[in-house]
Amino acid sequence: MADPANTKLGRMLLDEITPVVMVLRTPLVEESCRKNGLSLIEMLAPYSNFNNIDVPVRTASDQPYRLRKFKLRLFYDSEIRQPNIEAAKERLKQVITRAGDKDFSDQCSDPPDIESLVATSQQEFVPSWFQNFNKELVDAVSFSEHEAFDHPVACLVAVSSKDKDPIGKFVDLFNTNQLPSLLNDGAMDPKILKYFLLVHDNQDGELEKATGVLTAMRSTFGANDCRLLCINSSADGMEEHQENPWASYKNIASNSKQLGCFLNVDDIEELRNTMHDLSSKHIIPHMELKIRVLNQQVSATRKGFRNQIKNLWWRKGKDDAPENPNGPMYTFSSTESQIRVLGDYAFMLRDYELALSNYRLISTDYKLDKAWKHYAGVQEMMGLAYFMLDQSRKDAEYCMENAFTTYLKIGSSGGRNVTRCGIWWAEMLKARGQFKDAAGVYFRISGEEPLHSAVMLEQASYCFLSSTPTMLRKYGFHLVLSGDLYKKSDQIKHAIRTYRGALSVFKGTTWNHIRDHVHFHIGKWYAFLGMFDEAIKHILEVLACGHQSKATQELFLWDFFRIVQETGKTFEVFRLQLPVINFPSIKIVFEDHRTYASPSAAIVRESLWQSLEGDMIPSLSAMKTNWLDSKVLPKKYKESNVCVAGEAIKVDISFRNPLQIPVSISNVSLICKHSAEYDETESDAIGSLTECHNDKELRTISVSGDFSLDTSLFTLSEVDISMQGGETMLVQLTVTPKIEGTLKLVGVRWKLSASVIGICNFHSDIIRKKVAKGKRKLKQVKDNLQFLVIKSLPRLEGVVDDLPKTVYAGELRRLTLELRNPSKISVKNLKMRISHPRFLNIAAQEVMNSEFPTCLRKQENSSQSCTQMDAAKAANSVFVFPETTANSWETPLKWPLWFRAAAAGSISLYMTIYYEMEDASSVITYRTLRMHYNLEVLPSLEVSLQTSPCPSRLQEFLVRMDVVNRTSSESFLVHQLSCVGDQWELALLRPIDSAVSFELLMAGQAMSCFFKLKYGRRQGSTEEKISSLATSGRADVRLVDSDSGGLFDTSISPFDLFHHYERLHQERHEQGSDGVGIMGHGSTVDFILIFESQRESNAGLPSTTEVFSHHKCHCKIASNSPIWWLMDGPRTVRHDFSAAFCEINLSMTVYNSSEDVVSVRISTLDSTSAINSASVSGNEVGWHDTSHLSEIKVTSDVMGTRFGKALSPESVSPFIWSGSSSTRFNLEPLSSVVVPLQISVFSPGTFDLSNYSLHWNLVTSCDGGDDDEHGSRVSSGTCQGHSYHITVLQKE
Amino acid sequence: MIVCLAVVGHQNNPLYIQSFTEADDALKLHHIVHCSLDVVDERVNNPKKSGPTINEAFLGLLYPTENYKVYGYLTNTKVKFILVTTDLDVRDADVRNFFRRFHAAYVDAVTNPFHVPGKKITSKIFAERVSTMVKSFGLSPAS
Repeated sequence: MADPANTKLGRMLLDEITPVVMVLRTPLVEESCRKNGLSLIEMLAPYSNFNNIDVPVRTASDQPYRLRKFKLRLFYDSEIRQPNIEAAKERLKQVITRAGDKDFSDQCSDPPDIESLVATSQQEFVPSWFQNFNKELVDAVSFSEHEAFDHPVACLVAVSSKDKDPIGKFVDLFNTNQLPSLLNDGAMDPKILKYFLLVHDNQDGELEKATGVLTAMRSTFGANDCRLLCINSSADGMEEHQENPWASYKNIASNSKQLGCFLNVDDIEELRNTMHDLSSKHIIPHMELKIRVLNQQVSATRKGFRNQIKNLWWRKGKDDAPENPNGPMYTFSSTESQIRVLGDYAFMLRDYELALSNYRLISTDYKLDKAWKHYAGVQEMMGLAYFMLDQSRKDAEYCMENAFTTYLKIGSSGGRNVTRCGIWWAEMLKARGQFKDAAGVYFRISGEEPLHSAVMLEQASYCFLSSTPTMLRKYGFHLVLSGDLYKKSDQIKHAIRTYRGALSVFKGTTWNHIRDHVHFHIGKWYAFLGMFDEAIKHILEVLACGHQSKATQELFLWDFFRIVQETGKTFEVFRLQLPVINFPSIKIVFEDHRTYASPSAAIVRESLWQSLEGDMIPSLSAMKTNWLDSKVLPKKYKESNVCVAGEAIKVDISFRNPLQIPVSISNVSLICKHSAEYDETESDAIGSLTECHNDKELRTISVSGDFSLDTSLFTLSEVDISMQGGETMLVQLTVTPKIEGTLKLVGVRWKLSASVIGICNFHSDIIRKKVAKGKRKLKQVKDNLQFLVIKSLPRLEGVVDDLPKTVYAGELRRLTLELRNPSKISVKNLKMRISHPRFLNIAAQEVMNSEFPTCLRKQENSSQSCTQMDAAKAANSVFVFPETTANSWETPLKWPLWFRAAAAGSISLYMTIYYEMEDASSVITYRTLRMHYNLEVLPSLEVSLQTSPCPSRLQEFLVRMDVVNRTSSESFLVHQLSCVGDQWELALLRPIDSAVSFELLMAGQAMSCFFKLKYGRRQGSTEEKISSLATSGRADVRLVDSDSGGLFDTSISPFDLFHHYERLHQERHEQGSDGVGIMGHGSTVDFILIFESQRESNAGLPSTTEVFSHHKCHCKIASNSPIWWLMDGPRTVRHDFSAAFCEINLSMTVYNSSEDVVSVRISTLDSTSAINSASVSGNEVGWHDTSHLSEIKVTSDVMGTRFGKALSPESVSPFIWSGSSSTRFNLEPLSSVVVPLQISVFSPGTFDLSNYSLHWNLVTSCDGGDDDEHGSRVSSGTCQGHSYHITVLQKE
Repeated sequence: MIVCLAVVGHQNNPLYIQSFTEADDALKLHHIVHCSLDVVDERVNNPKKSGPTINEAFLGLLYPTENYKVYGYLTNTKVKFILVTTDLDVRDADVRNFFRRFHAAYVDAVTNPFHVPGKKITSKIFAERVSTMVKSFGLSPAS
């Protein structure tokens, strides 16, 4: 530890516990001094503090030591009394207030970071005025009678040479009854050292008169004790002092230049000599002498064993004396007082050993006397002496504590002493690094008076901060406590200061409750002081207090608005917390070469568009990596995005109201910076933005601001929203640049409750992160808030008219794609691509002019199918608009589209239209228009078609159609069923009759009807086969009365178009589940069911007919085998069984429908069990079960049970096949052969002749040719025989 | 009577703080709890002072304020429990016992799979359990 004298406490003690000189003067002396703006004491004060007096001192011991520093305290006689408590209080208050004002000016900066605060040394963060305050507190208890160090050691009597009868005045001055009570009431020895000073004002008279008086004085009072002091030697009063010695002593730093203006160098030298003479030649020797004398007396009366015994015994006797709360009065002549004086004098002359021994001696006496105040005082001095000796720390602390508690014990009379003792004690602990204990002491000092307590608590808090380990939380807590007390005693500035200090503790923590409280109060107090900027800054911190109760939130918000209103200005607040912006959700949509027809199109994944546009966009490779790489753009613009002048950049921002109370937000708009120059350096741009980057800067803006200025460069959209508590809102803001250049999105601004403007800057890194996540495909490392604005380009606007949101499945519509080019520049090379050709397809332009749906009706001369088919095939890829349409449009381009709701469910349709600029000089040479539509398709009719071979005729099939209306309310009119392919003929099983017409099919209703399908295939070549779909005529069956219009022509667009896609789709679908390829063209059939719905229009307009179509492709016809056969023979035979068994001749016609030669083997089976097994092994050669198979099973109901009643396996079959059990033959392609068969029947009855099977296998005569066509073609199979019932009756 | 119970995370962030008084003294109790963390830190960092109870989770009386006594408890995961009581003559054993039960309740609350470690404890069951414990603590000295 450092030398105790160099510690704060040491310096304080050396300053405070010094000899007191009482100054008596005549008014004329004072008058002379006043000329310099100083009183006599003030004039002398600088010279009564000696830094190197170098006086040898010899106290009780014989060993002299030298005194270096010495100080005299000068007081007028009137000041030597206990200060008035009220006055002292007032002075303390002044000190605090002044300090508050002074400190406050430099408070507006942010409170320092708590970590750095800890790192700085203690002196820096502890306000300096504490020292003054503590000094004032100590001074407030000076001149008490129980302590001797404030008792005057000497008396300086000053008389002016102008005074009449100076000698008499000297005597009068000391004899008047004006002397302090201390001297009069006997607490002090009135016989004190006197020093006579004759003050001569050189301006007032000659020096001779003064010297005359001096001689007279010397003769009267003794030669040594008199001195002449000449002042005011400078005549003009313009004396300048380099370092004005009085400046620091004069409390009020008034015109310090004039201080001592009449004192020249000689005068000052004289002043210094006078005081040096007084202290070294008079006061110190006097004190030495007194110490020695007193020491001798004390030794004589109190030292030694005998004296101690005597003393003890004597004091014991006084025990029963009545107790005086102040203890007995000790006069100056009492031994106790003398010992105390001896101790104090020794202390003042730095002989701490001597002082300590005397204090120790006296303290027991006081204790025995129950003179508690005296006792405490002595204990206090003992503690200090221990401290100055740097000996026993424990003792020092013990003494101080003892003194402290004793003062506390005696109550109000010791009140001030408690404070002083506490301050000393705390200082002592601080000097030794025991900050925590010091804090405890400060805490104990803080009494009832709020102001004192506040200061003490604040000091305590700083102790916590200095302690190791740092107790930050206690620091904060005590600062808050202290701030509350400051506030209570109206020291708002101090309160703010302490709270701000506390804030540094709570700032980063999650203790929101405390932090909000601190912020809120600072804000309130700042507002109270009229510093609204600061007030708002702090209240803003608590605005977004979602965790607080609703009442608190309202209070905060209400106070905030009140403060804002008081300012009467509009504030711009950087990073306003209300409402909260959800940064990661900010989304920027801009259009470069990609344009979007609707906002929904913009949010579609870029990869989806890319895959759609893939082969439309030129120079594909460059596009795919980064379109900016194309050489059109200078390299330096790579980092910025490109947008087009006149086209809006949209920014989606989500605002969240964290409070439970509704707030209203108005004028939400973007902040943008536009610079016309392309080549603006990056640094410039940032430089112009720095003003916004200053944290939490508050700016008062003029009403118009800089935004009106910007309107020529870009326009901003403004949005007003009102948010409920806890609500989150998505706001779309737009900025439309008007001029080429660079546009930067800086941030967003809004107005809260029409009073505060909030500003929030975007941070490019935050948004970039989002972009990377959201696949907005901006790979630039650089700023993506920066946009390169290029000159305006044509931008097509496209819309598909009347695209319904909800449709029923199967609905056919003609839609119109309308493309508009608002700009003067024309575009060319239009191409279009649609994502779902099954749903939406391009129609021929002529369709525009014809009437829908009547144009779909069958016309007499329908011969356009071939050309349409090409279009349909081409539509899979890119559709190129004819050149003629694209050149320039005054009127919008309309192009028809076919729409068919192919399948139920939700579907997203994407269309992209590519176009090129006529003006090739532009940076962007082409653009794409992206359109996106969502629609929902509701189920309408569910159609299932089953075909089964007609049991009675070859190449004829029964078709059963089941239709169920799946809608909830809609009713449909089934109009027609067509089958595709010219080889088919379709007819109703029963001709339609008007009575049983299939009227409207109501919701939920089901319907079945049966058709006859006939295979009427001509001999055809391979080419014909391929184009069979296209060139076919169709078989149509009308299902309604003819009055509702003609049949629809399914061979024209859009039916064939959609049928094509439907076929592809269903084929794909089937191949997923069915590993078998299509067997021959004859094996499947496609159906188109067309139904209508009458849509009532309530506007009185004629009701419109909506056309629906249902396509059912690849319906398998009965069997997968290439052969068809038919059993022919009598159905009923009469026979006389009594004669013989009956032989019946049958014939089987077998037809080969395939292109190959087929070898057929007919096996007849007589055993029923074999039949059973044969039915199971229908799949034996590798046929997989298909949906059609199951349908066939169902149709078998129509044809009757195949096996009839199961015959018991044991029973003998009632008939047998006669003739060979197996017949084999080869069948040429597309030819038939008749095979005779015969059965023998033994008894009458009805028999099912299905127990035979046909085995076929392809005879690949010229194999290899067809293999690639039917890769998975099956070359052999087994067919179970059809049931054929024959009834044999007994002939009568 | 217990006026306040707090759970403070290992980064000295409040996880749960509940006062059991009618008065509006939440702020004061927050301050007291916050302050007592300093003492906890001190105790933990200077195990010499805490003497023989070095392996003991219960930290004992942290500091007495004018009207309150503050007790602390430190779990192995450096989560602190702070108890503020107005009973000026509480036996350490009672408090220790209380903390044990409180610890069990805390463990149950944070083992909830929906609890996010380091976030505030919002479990209603925990709150109910704690409040019954607090009520019974007031009664136990009488019985």
